[in-house]
Amino acid sequence: MGEAGKGEKRVDYMNLPCPLPFEEIQREALMSLKPELFEGLRFDFTKGLNHKFSLSHSIFMGSTEVPSQSKDTIKIPTAHYEFGANFLDPKLMLVGRVLTDGRLNARVKCDLTDNLTLKINAQLTNEPHFSQGMFNFDYKGSDYRTQFQIGNNAFYGANYIQSVTPHLSLGSEVFWLGHQRKSGIGFAARYNKDKMVATGQIASTGIVALSYVQKVTEQGSLASDFMYNHMTGDVTSSFGYDYIFRQCRLRGKIDSNGVVAAFLEERLNMGVNFILSAEIDHLKKDYKFGFGMTLGE
Amino acid sequence: MGSPSPPPPLGLASVLPPKEAEEKKEKKVDYLNLPCPVPFEEIQREALMSLKPELFEGLRFDFTKGLNHKFSLSHSVFMGSMELPSQSSDTLKVPTAHYEFGANYLDPKLMLVGRILTDGRLNARVKCDLTDNLTMKINAQLTNEPHYSQGMFNFDYKGKDYRAQFQIGNNAFYGANYIQSVTPHLSLGSEVFWLGHQRKSGIGFAARYNTDKMVATGQIASTGIVALSYVQKVSEKVSLASDFMYNHMTRDVTSSFGYDYILRQCRLRGKLDSNGVVAAYLEERLNMGVNFILSAEIDHRKKDYKFGFGMTVGE
Repeated sequence: MGEAGKGEKRVDYMNLPCPLPFEEIQREALMSLKPELFEGLRFDFTKGLNHKFSLSHSIFMGSTEVPSQSKDTIKIPTAHYEFGANFLDPKLMLVGRVLTDGRLNARVKCDLTDNLTLKINAQLTNEPHFSQGMFNFDYKGSDYRTQFQIGNNAFYGANYIQSVTPHLSLGSEVFWLGHQRKSGIGFAARYNKDKMVATGQIASTGIVALSYVQKVTEQGSLASDFMYNHMTGDVTSSFGYDYIFRQCRLRGKIDSNGVVAAFLEERLNMGVNFILSAEIDHLKKDYKFGFGMTLGE
Repeated sequence: MGSPSPPPPLGLASVLPPKEAEEKKEKKVDYLNLPCPVPFEEIQREALMSLKPELFEGLRFDFTKGLNHKFSLSHSVFMGSMELPSQSSDTLKVPTAHYEFGANYLDPKLMLVGRILTDGRLNARVKCDLTDNLTMKINAQLTNEPHYSQGMFNFDYKGKDYRAQFQIGNNAFYGANYIQSVTPHLSLGSEVFWLGHQRKSGIGFAARYNTDKMVATGQIASTGIVALSYVQKVSEKVSLASDFMYNHMTRDVTSSFGYDYILRQCRLRGKLDSNGVVAAYLEERLNMGVNFILSAEIDHRKKDYKFGFGMTVGE
């Protein structure tokens, strides 16, 4: 029901769109500003056995930083191989990964009903007391979402996000860490239109995070990000671009910590991607360069 | 001194291509007209080019700009990791970066090359043709650290089928070498040197046998080094090379085997070592004057991995 003469359509508050899940509020900014930078060689191979099941082999050889007492950065060469299996069904998704350094990742996503989803996330390691597991129950309403989380180490959390107008959604979360008797509360807001997304998040742990993504052209978007940690006094701001062309995707970013990074994925052939990753930390004089290849879908 | 000319062709022989005069399989070797041999230090040239590409770790960017047809400048940036000497068997790497500025002057008779790095090193090379046969070469590396600078003067004389070289270096280094073509395919040479400060002297011998498709070299020196190499050109685009080195003093033995593919748009060199090192080096021509480089080296024994990529712009 529009009104003639005014520019705005009348907002139907009974029919708002369903918002994004609470943990994916900053999704666009994260995708543009945080590519998986690496140092060394990376080789991934994904083989689909049938349309639901696929295996993946991933090799990484390169340098990783070791913590050192002096200001210098010291790296040692490491290598690992990761084997993975994925099962994808409309109602059930199972993902498992095993690494040669003894870690196992497992993820389950199961649609119990049309609106209720169960997610399980587990990381098991060799070292005692370092394994983690988390159960999430997600309920999707018509214009809201709510989530309840139970994790090991007696972690309990809940979050709720609601569409307030067709462009704005507001949410909040609470959590409780049993062993350390710590609890926290946080609030988030997301405003998005066709060409831009702005989000803000604030939590009682002392973290303030803001982000803004603007789609400048069909192929390019710019993103910026601001994070302030009140406990440690850390402030970081970054600015990046994301160009998606037919044959390649180039993401570049510059940071207030003096870090410049770039990540290029180029499609050489059907299913064959070539990757270049570069990160220069001017303050610490640390340089990380890597290249790799991804085969398979 | 060729064979007598054949009788004039008759009948069918006049339309068929003339047969060569009756020849043995080998042409008679003209020992007074042997080709000039390769210089003594370049005996293993083909094997070195195939088996020892400039592997690196990190990012390399080179830009060469020609100011005119004789003079060019070059800018080179390198950012990556360098290994630190460490007591334990672990490999430790530290990120380093340097910028190198260079200038080249190339004349038919005179060549001047200078390079200066941000870590304080200066390289200078001069090559000057004093006469048609006599060449003088000067090679200097100057550094910040005292007693680490080096300089060397070389005088090369090129004869008809021999070459002789005399070297004078700092630290009272004197050397001379001589190489002579013995047959059209084989050249033999020897060198002597004397290090003044340590009162050390040495003598060495080298041999090089090459045909169209293969090169085999051998070198032995009184410092206890034996080096052999063999390069075979398998096809127009492919050649295989292998190399063997034995050091009697340190009891080091290394043998390596490699291939060199030179295709239209790229050059790929791969190598496998007896120390468990596998290396590969790819140069791809993206455009006129723009080259993309990938370098990889995996040391399986020490579990050390070095990967790098780079770009070279300019001729």
